Amino acid sequence: MINVTIDGQKLQVPEGTTILNAAKMAHIKIPTLCYSEELSIYGGCRICVVEVENERLLQPSCAVAVKEGMVVKTHTPKVREVRKTIFELMIASHDLGCKLNCLTCSRGDNCDLQRLAQELGIREIRLNALDKNMSNDYSSYSIVREPNKCISCHRCVRRCEEIQGIGIFTKANRGPAAVITTFKNKGMGNLECVNCGQCIHACPTGALHEVYHYENVWDALHDPTKHVVVQTAPAVRVALAEAFGEKPGRIFTEQMVAALKRLGFDKVFDTDFSADLTIMEEGTELLGRIQNGGTLPMLTSCSPGWIKFIEHFYPEFLDNISSCKSPQQMLGALVKSYYAEKNNIPKEDIVVVSIMPCTAKKYEARRPEMTGDVDYALTTRELAMMIKEVGIDVLNLEGEDYDKLMGSSSGAAVIFGATGGVMEAALRTVYEILTGEELPGIDFTPVRGIEGIKEAEVKVGDLTLKAAVAHGLSNVRRLMNMIRDGKEYHFIEMMACPGGCIGGGGQPIPTDMEVVKKRMEAIYESDLAHGYRKSHENPEVQQLYDEYLGKPGSHKAHKLLHTHYTPRGL
Amino acid sequence: MGETLFLKRKVSEDYSHYDFPILKKVIKMRREDVIAEIKASGLKGRGGAGFPTGLKWELALKEPGDEKYIICNADEGEPGTFKDRFLLENTPLQVMEGIIIAGYAIGANKGYIYIRGEYAKAINIFQDAINHAKEEKLIGDSILDSDFSFDLQLVKGGGAYVCGDETSLINSIEGNRGISRITPPYPIQNGLYGKPSVVNNVETLTAAAEILAQGGKTYANLGTDKSKGTKLVCLSGDVKEPGVYEVEFGAMTLREIIDEFGKGTTGELKFVIPGGVSTAILTDDQLDIPYTYEDIANVGSGLGSGAVVVVSEGHDLLELLQNVSRFFMDETCGTCFPCREGNRRVYHLLKEAVNKGGFTSDDMKLIKDIGKTIYLAARCGLGQTSMCFIGSVLEKYTDELLARR
Amino acid sequence: MNDGRMMEKLHNIQTTYGYIPENEIEKLADEYAMSKTKVYGVISFYSMFHTEPTGKYLIRICNSLSCHLNRSDDVVTGVQEYLGVESGETTEDKKYTLEIVECLGHCGEGPVMMVNDKIYTHVSKAAALKILKECM
Repeated sequence: MINVTIDGQKLQVPEGTTILNAAKMAHIKIPTLCYSEELSIYGGCRICVVEVENERLLQPSCAVAVKEGMVVKTHTPKVREVRKTIFELMIASHDLGCKLNCLTCSRGDNCDLQRLAQELGIREIRLNALDKNMSNDYSSYSIVREPNKCISCHRCVRRCEEIQGIGIFTKANRGPAAVITTFKNKGMGNLECVNCGQCIHACPTGALHEVYHYENVWDALHDPTKHVVVQTAPAVRVALAEAFGEKPGRIFTEQMVAALKRLGFDKVFDTDFSADLTIMEEGTELLGRIQNGGTLPMLTSCSPGWIKFIEHFYPEFLDNISSCKSPQQMLGALVKSYYAEKNNIPKEDIVVVSIMPCTAKKYEARRPEMTGDVDYALTTRELAMMIKEVGIDVLNLEGEDYDKLMGSSSGAAVIFGATGGVMEAALRTVYEILTGEELPGIDFTPVRGIEGIKEAEVKVGDLTLKAAVAHGLSNVRRLMNMIRDGKEYHFIEMMACPGGCIGGGGQPIPTDMEVVKKRMEAIYESDLAHGYRKSHENPEVQQLYDEYLGKPGSHKAHKLLHTHYTPRGL
Repeated sequence: MGETLFLKRKVSEDYSHYDFPILKKVIKMRREDVIAEIKASGLKGRGGAGFPTGLKWELALKEPGDEKYIICNADEGEPGTFKDRFLLENTPLQVMEGIIIAGYAIGANKGYIYIRGEYAKAINIFQDAINHAKEEKLIGDSILDSDFSFDLQLVKGGGAYVCGDETSLINSIEGNRGISRITPPYPIQNGLYGKPSVVNNVETLTAAAEILAQGGKTYANLGTDKSKGTKLVCLSGDVKEPGVYEVEFGAMTLREIIDEFGKGTTGELKFVIPGGVSTAILTDDQLDIPYTYEDIANVGSGLGSGAVVVVSEGHDLLELLQNVSRFFMDETCGTCFPCREGNRRVYHLLKEAVNKGGFTSDDMKLIKDIGKTIYLAARCGLGQTSMCFIGSVLEKYTDELLARR
Repeated sequence: MNDGRMMEKLHNIQTTYGYIPENEIEKLADEYAMSKTKVYGVISFYSMFHTEPTGKYLIRICNSLSCHLNRSDDVVTGVQEYLGVESGETTEDKKYTLEIVECLGHCGEGPVMMVNDKIYTHVSKAAALKILKECM
């Protein structure tokens, strides 16, 4: 242990502790900006500088480990002055000024720079804004980059590289020309970006945000000739309340449904319904592959970030991906066929909107092989904006239920939102179909939790089913490399985002591992509260097969619910 | 008083038959004794930071591990500095000898010399020298029949001043952006490829070789108590005879260097930058001080890399400020906010001042505040010293600058 | 495999093509197991590497302090006017790329100018133009 004095308080901390963390132990929050607990230390912004006795220069507390006997002062006049000047310099490089961009900024209500200004007690900015004169990047279906707002904190660069293992961003050039950009500034939409949106969570400013589609949805809602159907993904219900000031972990399903009805959607369906349906189709596909010597391991297909990832980085494994469309696309396809036919509504008049925790879903909805299933995919954040715009007091709203036909779901479906959930849901059903018995210990804990790669073996009759789960693309990459090197599995669940969809790029800000854990608890709580725990028990899914599709894997099911993939390379 | 020839002793010699006499002697010595000799000489790093060379070697030798590196920093780029180019072009084999000796002393079997890419002639000369040494088996396995093997690789810089910072230089050799690393850990513990590494300047290594030829004591007898030996001074700007001159520390004043070597100024002297644009200026009344680390530090500046730039009357002060400011703005690696944004902002403030015909005291306060912030909070030496020149001009010529309005 | 030869390879590619083309960046990315984005980040850090084609003659004029004191501004403006391009630009006929650069390390012999690898010292405006005209 190391003895250290911080602002007069003496304490002992483990060797290797940074000044920043030591201060935290002394209940002192040193302001930070480029620092992120989940990323490597960058040491660039210098906002966290402190005075260390006998040091000539200020020290960045995020990067300097305490030494025996170190005496640290966190808010001397020198420190306060330097922090303020750095802030002035930074804010003047952030395109503020006559453009009033706080008012129109995607991060107007949760901007790290505004927070920092308050923490530092900034009361004047003596410098004019420097116009960096760069153009916005609109090349992506999912994400917009506004480089003039970028302050070069490197958090997006590190998140993309370290957590997602992709590295779509880099710092380019040097000196005044130094900028965060993509390969030769080609634009995110033209590169191997998988649209996961984790960079949005990393960004302290509004330099990164999703491509907004809510205006199109407003147009559809106000168009009397359109029949607008909305669906909500499993992970949205456990996160939406955060956008209204609630602590993470509140299950908000019924109020969310009520708000959607007030917004004017004609029908509110549940993507959980099609998650159950996915289990039926994917489970059938898995059994078929195992019994008929098909390509194994079978890889899940629900996460569009993961799908684009494999298309770029492991195109040789495309045959391993389940041919099932994702739940979003399945529901969209059924609304425009099953639902349309049943209610005699021309499918051209139907607009399908999905509320997703995800930015990659926007891209998925535009994939040519599935065009028309879903018209607009909104993020959880966009839904919150719409609710705020209308002024619905959503926190105090009387809850309502999803509409019938595609509104019922099992507990297996809701856990799709968390890493391991698809696997657990599939096992619950596959086990029962093969053995006629319920999966022993229906709460299948080996695949739960935030461990990057999880493995499990389940004895199913004569077969020992080998399963693995990975979330966060750098973990996914590790697992793919294990497979490439010969490791054998039957079934693998892959999710692009850390924690699964609950940590998706479209979720309320902030989204970090602490928040994700709370949402995860809420997901499993919601599972327990469901009357049905297994996908095949969902009565509306049974009805769908009885009335429309026949059986899982039927010709009609294939036509509507399955797809194919495109090798993209780098 | 003439030059004290120590480093430049063999400049005019024909190197075609040079067979590394110093190395031959050193390779029979114990590593500890080699280092003791350097320590006895009192040699300090000549790249600008002035860290004691013997101590650096000793620390590196003591670091555990078989794989260590010696890196010769020849990424000379500070405006006004051209002594390393002089040595590379004129005494390449002695530079190389210094590198191999340092490698031997710290137990490194691999060395790199990082020469700035613009030094095309020096690069060619040095690459020839390496090839020559390889042919003569002075580089390679078991050199000079010892059990010491040594390989040397030349790396051409890509045109980035900041790579003269040792951690940035290491990043550059590794094929990364040449940005500084967070220290500690220092390269001595965790340098190139994460291994213990010593980075020494060209002049330092050349001096080290000569010290081992003549003995640490000989060198220590030159100079003053705190500044031992000699220093190459690069004289440029408004002097009649610019060039590289070798000066024994303490033997001459700054003014004598200018008057005797430079043959005086080309106009009426206004100020002198005693150690390159990373150091504070000295005015006419401050020049009668001996050329030593301590005497220059006493008057608030530093001898830096040894670039003495003489500025006479008749130049536009604001233009000079802008020129130096632009240098730092262009050359900051762009990583830390104070240096990147600070230097850019200072440049813009100076440019505005030129446009509007002068300074206000608010402008001056702003530049000083930014300067203080860069000094206290920047991540590496480039940033920390980037405002020395500008700050000192503002301080010493406040009235003149304000009067322009 | 990190062999300390990335800079050398970049210089060689730059010399061969006059810039660093995309397919070469992709090859380096493969070789060094880096993303091509990261390689681009490296390349763009260094003034001597270009990711777009440059002219046959790369003209560098130093405008750092010592050269400035020796009136390098005259050379800079003279050459800019003659070539009709600003720093960083290439003439329409792809013959010249002009770069106003920081210190070239010949501070005692300023103003200095480089044409490709060749250095010229004590350059006046007239001398600079003569050198340019002699580029064939």
